[in-house]
Amino acid sequence: MKDLASANLDKMTTAEFEEYLPELFESGGGSISKDPRFANFFQAHPDCAALVSDLEIIAEQAKSLFEPSAGTEPSDAVWSNIASKLKEEPPTSKEN
Amino acid sequence: MDLQGTPRMQTKPNPGFFKRNAPIAGEAEAIENAKNGDPDAFAKLYALHKRRVYTLCLRMLGNVSEAEDMTQEAFLHLFRKLGSFRGESAFSTWLHRLTVNLVLMHLRKKGLQLVSLEETINPSEEDAPKRDFGSRDTMLTGSVDRVTLERAVALLPPGYRMVFVLHDVEGFEHNEIATMLECSTGNSKSQLHKARLKLRELLRESQALQPADGVSEAAR
Repeated sequence: MKDLASANLDKMTTAEFEEYLPELFESGGGSISKDPRFANFFQAHPDCAALVSDLEIIAEQAKSLFEPSAGTEPSDAVWSNIASKLKEEPPTSKEN
Repeated sequence: MDLQGTPRMQTKPNPGFFKRNAPIAGEAEAIENAKNGDPDAFAKLYALHKRRVYTLCLRMLGNVSEAEDMTQEAFLHLFRKLGSFRGESAFSTWLHRLTVNLVLMHLRKKGLQLVSLEETINPSEEDAPKRDFGSRDTMLTGSVDRVTLERAVALLPPGYRMVFVLHDVEGFEHNEIATMLECSTGNSKSQLHKARLKLRELLRESQALQPADGVSEAAR
Protein backbone atom coordinates (compact mmCIF):
# COMPACT_ATOMS: atom_id res chain seq x y z
CA MET A 1 0.00 0.00 0.00
CA LYS A 2 1.31 3.42 -0.93
CA ASP A 3 1.62 6.30 1.47
CA LEU A 4 0.56 9.69 0.18
CA ALA A 5 2.68 11.67 2.66
CA SER A 6 5.67 11.95 0.36
CA ALA A 7 3.78 12.25 -2.92
CA ASN A 8 3.52 15.36 -5.06
CA LEU A 9 -0.16 15.93 -5.79
CA ASP A 10 0.58 18.71 -8.30
CA LYS A 11 2.21 16.27 -10.69
CA MET A 12 0.05 13.26 -9.96
CA THR A 13 -2.20 11.65 -12.54
CA THR A 14 -5.58 10.09 -11.78
CA ALA A 15 -4.14 6.61 -12.25
CA GLU A 16 -1.33 7.36 -9.81
CA PHE A 17 -3.78 8.81 -7.27
CA GLU A 18 -5.89 5.67 -7.48
CA GLU A 19 -2.98 3.62 -6.21
CA TYR A 20 -3.26 5.48 -2.91
CA LEU A 21 -7.03 5.02 -2.61
CA PRO A 22 -7.13 1.70 -0.70
CA GLU A 23 -5.01 3.21 2.07
CA LEU A 24 -6.78 6.58 1.93
CA PHE A 25 -10.18 4.97 2.34
CA GLU A 26 -8.89 3.02 5.30
CA SER A 27 -7.37 6.03 7.04
CA GLY A 28 -9.75 8.73 5.82
CA GLY A 29 -12.94 7.39 7.32
CA GLY A 30 -14.77 7.52 4.01
CA SER A 31 -14.65 11.28 3.44
CA ILE A 32 -11.79 11.70 0.99
CA SER A 33 -13.92 13.84 -1.33
CA LYS A 34 -14.26 16.45 1.41
CA ASP A 35 -10.63 16.37 2.49
CA PRO A 36 -9.23 19.89 1.87
CA ARG A 37 -5.79 18.41 1.06
CA PHE A 38 -7.22 17.05 -2.18
CA ALA A 39 -9.54 19.92 -3.15
CA ASN A 40 -7.19 21.33 -5.81
CA PHE A 41 -6.37 17.88 -7.16
CA PHE A 42 -10.04 16.97 -7.53
CA GLN A 43 -10.76 20.30 -9.20
CA ALA A 44 -8.03 19.56 -11.74
CA HIS A 45 -9.10 15.92 -12.11
CA PRO A 46 -12.91 15.76 -12.14
CA ASP A 47 -12.81 12.15 -13.33
CA CYS A 48 -10.95 11.21 -10.18
CA ALA A 49 -13.36 13.28 -8.07
CA ALA A 50 -16.22 11.31 -9.63
CA LEU A 51 -14.49 8.01 -8.91
CA VAL A 52 -13.87 8.88 -5.26
CA SER A 53 -17.40 10.17 -4.81
CA ASP A 54 -18.86 6.97 -6.30
CA LEU A 55 -16.72 4.73 -4.13
CA GLU A 56 -17.80 6.70 -1.06
CA ILE A 57 -21.46 6.30 -2.05
CA ILE A 58 -20.98 2.55 -2.46
CA ALA A 59 -19.20 2.19 0.89
CA GLU A 60 -21.85 4.26 2.66
CA GLN A 61 -24.79 2.47 1.07
CA ALA A 62 -23.23 -0.92 1.89
CA LYS A 63 -23.93 -0.26 5.57
CA SER A 64 -27.65 -0.36 4.82
CA LEU A 65 -27.26 -3.97 3.69
CA PHE A 66 -26.42 -5.07 7.25
CA GLU A 67 -30.10 -5.22 8.11
CA PRO A 68 -31.72 -7.98 6.05
CA SER A 69 -34.40 -6.95 3.60
CA ALA A 70 -38.01 -7.79 4.38
CA GLY A 71 -38.89 -11.36 3.58
CA THR A 72 -35.31 -12.62 3.66
CA GLU A 73 -35.26 -15.43 6.16
CA PRO A 74 -34.51 -19.11 6.33
CA SER A 75 -37.34 -21.57 5.76
CA ASP A 76 -39.15 -23.08 8.76
CA ALA A 77 -37.35 -26.36 8.07
CA VAL A 78 -34.11 -24.83 9.34
CA TRP A 79 -35.45 -24.34 12.85
CA SER A 80 -37.17 -27.74 12.76
CA ASN A 81 -33.84 -29.36 11.98
CA ILE A 82 -32.05 -27.37 14.67
CA ALA A 83 -34.71 -28.16 17.28
CA SER A 84 -34.62 -31.88 16.54
CA LYS A 85 -30.80 -31.97 16.68
CA LEU A 86 -30.77 -30.03 19.95
CA LYS A 87 -32.89 -32.72 21.55
CA GLU A 88 -30.07 -35.17 20.84
CA GLU A 89 -27.41 -32.81 22.25
CA PRO A 90 -26.40 -32.70 25.90
CA PRO A 91 -27.24 -29.44 27.68
CA THR A 92 -24.81 -26.56 27.09
CA SER A 93 -22.09 -26.24 29.64
CA LYS A 94 -20.49 -23.02 30.80
CA GLU A 95 -16.92 -22.94 29.57
CA ASN A 96 -15.91 -19.84 31.47
CA MET B 1 -9.47 -23.06 13.42
CA ASP B 2 -10.95 -21.33 16.42
CA LEU B 3 -14.56 -20.66 15.64
CA GLN B 4 -15.24 -18.76 18.77
CA GLY B 5 -15.50 -15.02 18.74
CA THR B 6 -12.78 -12.92 20.23
CA PRO B 7 -13.13 -9.27 21.20
CA ARG B 8 -13.15 -6.94 18.24
CA MET B 9 -10.12 -4.76 17.82
CA GLN B 10 -11.41 -1.30 17.07
CA THR B 11 -8.48 0.74 15.83
CA LYS B 12 -10.62 3.71 14.89
CA PRO B 13 -14.23 4.69 15.38
CA ASN B 14 -16.48 2.99 12.88
CA PRO B 15 -19.56 5.19 12.38
CA GLY B 16 -21.77 2.22 11.61
CA PHE B 17 -20.46 -0.05 14.35
CA PHE B 18 -22.64 0.93 17.26
CA LYS B 19 -25.76 1.25 15.16
CA ARG B 20 -25.13 -2.14 13.61
CA ASN B 21 -24.48 -3.80 16.94
CA ALA B 22 -27.09 -2.05 19.05
CA PRO B 23 -28.37 -4.23 21.90
CA ILE B 24 -31.63 -6.01 21.11
CA ALA B 25 -34.40 -5.94 23.70
CA GLY B 26 -34.53 -9.19 25.65
CA GLU B 27 -31.30 -10.50 24.14
CA ALA B 28 -29.15 -10.40 27.28
CA GLU B 29 -31.74 -12.26 29.31
CA ALA B 30 -32.20 -14.84 26.54
CA ILE B 31 -28.43 -15.41 26.40
CA GLU B 32 -28.18 -16.02 30.13
CA ASN B 33 -31.22 -18.30 30.18
CA ALA B 34 -30.03 -20.20 27.11
CA LYS B 35 -26.65 -20.69 28.80
CA ASN B 36 -28.56 -22.35 31.63
CA GLY B 37 -30.22 -24.74 29.22
CA ASP B 38 -33.56 -23.00 28.69
CA PRO B 39 -34.75 -24.19 25.22
CA ASP B 40 -37.25 -21.35 24.88
CA ALA B 41 -34.46 -18.83 25.44
CA PHE B 42 -32.40 -20.45 22.68
CA ALA B 43 -35.44 -20.35 20.40
CA LYS B 44 -35.69 -16.64 21.15
CA LEU B 45 -32.03 -16.12 20.21
CA TYR B 46 -32.72 -17.93 16.96
CA ALA B 47 -35.75 -15.74 16.27
CA LEU B 48 -33.75 -12.59 17.00
CA HIS B 49 -30.77 -13.44 14.83
CA LYS B 50 -31.88 -15.93 12.16
CA ARG B 51 -32.42 -13.32 9.44
CA ARG B 52 -29.04 -11.64 9.87
CA VAL B 53 -27.17 -14.93 10.07
CA TYR B 54 -29.02 -16.34 7.07
CA THR B 55 -28.45 -13.16 5.04
CA LEU B 56 -24.75 -13.25 5.88
CA CYS B 57 -24.53 -16.90 4.76
CA LEU B 58 -26.50 -16.17 1.62
CA ARG B 59 -24.25 -13.28 0.64
CA MET B 60 -21.11 -15.29 1.27
CA LEU B 61 -22.32 -18.43 -0.48
CA GLY B 62 -24.75 -17.08 -3.08
CA ASN B 63 -26.87 -20.19 -2.75
CA VAL B 64 -30.14 -20.55 -0.77
CA SER B 65 -29.74 -24.24 0.02
CA GLU B 66 -26.15 -23.89 1.25
CA ALA B 67 -27.08 -20.73 3.15
CA GLU B 68 -29.81 -22.60 5.01
CA ASP B 69 -27.46 -25.47 5.80
CA MET B 70 -24.84 -23.07 7.16
CA THR B 71 -27.47 -21.14 9.15
CA GLN B 72 -28.40 -24.43 10.77
CA GLU B 73 -24.75 -25.24 11.46
CA ALA B 74 -24.14 -21.76 12.88
CA PHE B 75 -26.95 -22.07 15.42
CA LEU B 76 -25.99 -25.61 16.38
CA HIS B 77 -22.46 -24.36 16.91
CA LEU B 78 -23.83 -21.42 18.87
CA PHE B 79 -25.70 -23.83 21.13
CA ARG B 80 -22.46 -25.69 21.88
CA LYS B 81 -20.33 -22.60 22.35
CA LEU B 82 -22.74 -20.21 24.04
CA GLY B 83 -21.21 -20.92 27.43
CA SER B 84 -17.96 -19.34 26.25
CA PHE B 85 -19.60 -16.03 25.32
CA ARG B 86 -18.32 -13.54 27.86
CA GLY B 87 -19.97 -10.40 26.54
CA GLU B 88 -16.66 -8.75 25.65
CA SER B 89 -18.06 -7.91 22.25
CA ALA B 90 -21.63 -7.47 21.09
CA PHE B 91 -23.40 -10.81 20.86
CA SER B 92 -24.28 -10.23 17.20
CA THR B 93 -20.61 -9.51 16.41
CA TRP B 94 -19.56 -12.69 18.16
CA LEU B 95 -22.25 -14.73 16.43
CA HIS B 96 -21.43 -13.28 13.02
CA ARG B 97 -17.72 -14.01 13.45
CA LEU B 98 -18.58 -17.57 14.43
CA THR B 99 -20.80 -17.80 11.33
CA VAL B 100 -18.16 -16.34 9.01
CA ASN B 101 -15.57 -18.82 10.27
CA LEU B 102 -17.96 -21.73 9.74
CA VAL B 103 -18.75 -20.60 6.20
CA LEU B 104 -15.05 -20.14 5.42
CA MET B 105 -14.30 -23.61 6.78
CA HIS B 106 -17.12 -24.97 4.62
CA LEU B 107 -15.69 -23.24 1.54
CA ARG B 108 -12.21 -24.52 2.27
CA LYS B 109 -13.57 -28.04 2.53
CA LYS B 110 -15.08 -27.51 -0.89
CA GLY B 111 -11.62 -26.61 -2.12
CA LEU B 112 -12.33 -22.97 -2.74
CA GLN B 113 -9.30 -20.83 -2.05
CA LEU B 114 -10.70 -17.57 -0.84
CA VAL B 115 -8.84 -14.38 -1.69
CA SER B 116 -6.16 -16.54 -3.27
CA LEU B 117 -8.59 -17.41 -6.01
CA GLU B 118 -7.10 -16.97 -9.44
CA GLU B 119 -9.94 -14.66 -10.31
CA THR B 120 -9.14 -12.21 -7.51
CA ILE B 121 -5.36 -12.19 -7.66
CA ASN B 122 -5.30 -12.35 -11.41
CA PRO B 123 -8.83 -11.51 -12.45
CA SER B 124 -9.96 -12.41 -15.89
CA GLU B 125 -10.55 -9.42 -18.14
CA GLU B 126 -14.24 -9.98 -17.78
CA ASP B 127 -14.24 -10.02 -13.97
CA ALA B 128 -11.59 -7.46 -13.11
CA PRO B 129 -12.61 -3.83 -12.67
CA LYS B 130 -11.70 -1.85 -15.73
CA ARG B 131 -9.29 1.03 -15.42
CA ASP B 132 -11.94 3.46 -16.53
CA PHE B 133 -12.31 6.53 -14.43
CA GLY B 134 -15.40 7.62 -16.28
CA SER B 135 -16.49 11.19 -16.45
CA ARG B 136 -18.95 13.41 -14.70
CA ASP B 137 -21.85 12.31 -16.85
CA THR B 138 -21.28 8.64 -16.08
CA MET B 139 -20.81 8.88 -12.35
CA LEU B 140 -23.42 7.31 -10.11
CA THR B 141 -26.46 9.47 -9.66
CA GLY B 142 -26.13 10.59 -6.07
CA SER B 143 -27.46 7.52 -4.36
CA VAL B 144 -27.80 3.80 -4.97
CA ASP B 145 -30.84 1.97 -3.71
CA ARG B 146 -30.19 -1.13 -1.65
CA VAL B 147 -31.97 -3.50 -4.02
CA THR B 148 -29.74 -2.44 -6.90
CA LEU B 149 -26.67 -2.63 -4.72
CA GLU B 150 -27.65 -6.07 -3.40
CA ARG B 151 -28.00 -7.33 -6.98
CA ALA B 152 -24.63 -5.88 -7.92
CA VAL B 153 -22.96 -7.46 -4.87
CA ALA B 154 -24.38 -10.83 -5.91
CA LEU B 155 -22.67 -10.42 -9.29
CA LEU B 156 -19.23 -9.83 -7.79
CA PRO B 157 -16.60 -12.57 -8.17
CA PRO B 158 -16.61 -14.62 -4.92
CA GLY B 159 -13.30 -13.30 -3.58
CA TYR B 160 -14.28 -9.67 -4.07
CA ARG B 161 -17.75 -10.32 -2.64
CA MET B 162 -16.31 -11.95 0.45
CA VAL B 163 -14.08 -9.03 1.38
CA PHE B 164 -16.75 -6.44 0.51
CA VAL B 165 -19.41 -8.17 2.64
CA LEU B 166 -17.05 -8.67 5.56
CA HIS B 167 -15.73 -5.09 5.56
CA ASP B 168 -18.34 -2.76 4.15
CA VAL B 169 -21.49 -4.64 5.20
CA GLU B 170 -20.49 -6.53 8.34
CA GLY B 171 -18.04 -3.92 9.61
CA PHE B 172 -15.03 -6.16 10.24
CA GLU B 173 -11.61 -4.50 10.22
CA HIS B 174 -8.98 -5.43 7.66
CA ASN B 175 -6.79 -7.10 10.27
CA GLU B 176 -9.73 -9.30 11.28
CA ILE B 177 -10.52 -10.14 7.66
CA ALA B 178 -6.86 -10.91 6.99
CA THR B 179 -6.89 -13.38 9.89
CA MET B 180 -10.14 -14.98 8.76
CA LEU B 181 -9.08 -15.28 5.12
CA GLU B 182 -5.46 -16.11 5.93
CA CYS B 183 -4.14 -13.28 3.78
CA SER B 184 -2.27 -10.04 4.44
CA THR B 185 -3.98 -6.85 5.59
CA GLY B 186 -2.73 -5.18 2.42
CA ASN B 187 -4.34 -7.88 0.33
CA SER B 188 -7.64 -7.35 2.14
CA LYS B 189 -7.49 -3.59 1.45
CA SER B 190 -6.58 -4.18 -2.15
CA GLN B 191 -9.38 -6.71 -2.68
CA LEU B 192 -11.87 -4.34 -1.10
CA HIS B 193 -10.82 -1.54 -3.42
CA LYS B 194 -11.15 -3.80 -6.45
CA ALA B 195 -14.55 -4.96 -5.21
CA ARG B 196 -15.78 -1.37 -4.93
CA LEU B 197 -14.40 -0.55 -8.39
CA LYS B 198 -16.16 -3.58 -9.83
CA LEU B 199 -19.38 -2.60 -8.07
CA ARG B 200 -19.13 0.89 -9.50
CA GLU B 201 -18.80 -0.62 -12.94
CA LEU B 202 -21.81 -2.90 -12.39
CA LEU B 203 -23.91 -0.09 -10.94
CA ARG B 204 -23.09 2.26 -13.79
CA GLU B 205 -24.07 -0.44 -16.27
CA SER B 206 -27.28 -0.94 -14.34
CA GLN B 207 -28.05 2.79 -14.36
CA ALA B 208 -27.26 3.02 -18.05
CA LEU B 209 -29.93 0.41 -18.72
CA GLN B 210 -32.58 2.42 -16.90
CA PRO B 211 -34.39 5.09 -18.92
CA ALA B 212 -33.50 8.56 -17.72
CA ASP B 213 -36.31 10.57 -16.12
CA GLY B 214 -38.48 12.09 -18.77
CA VAL B 215 -36.99 10.13 -21.65
CA SER B 216 -39.62 7.43 -21.64
CA GLU B 217 -42.26 10.11 -21.17
CA ALA B 218 -40.98 12.04 -24.19
CA ALA B 219 -40.84 8.92 -26.30
CA ARG B 220 -44.55 8.33 -25.93
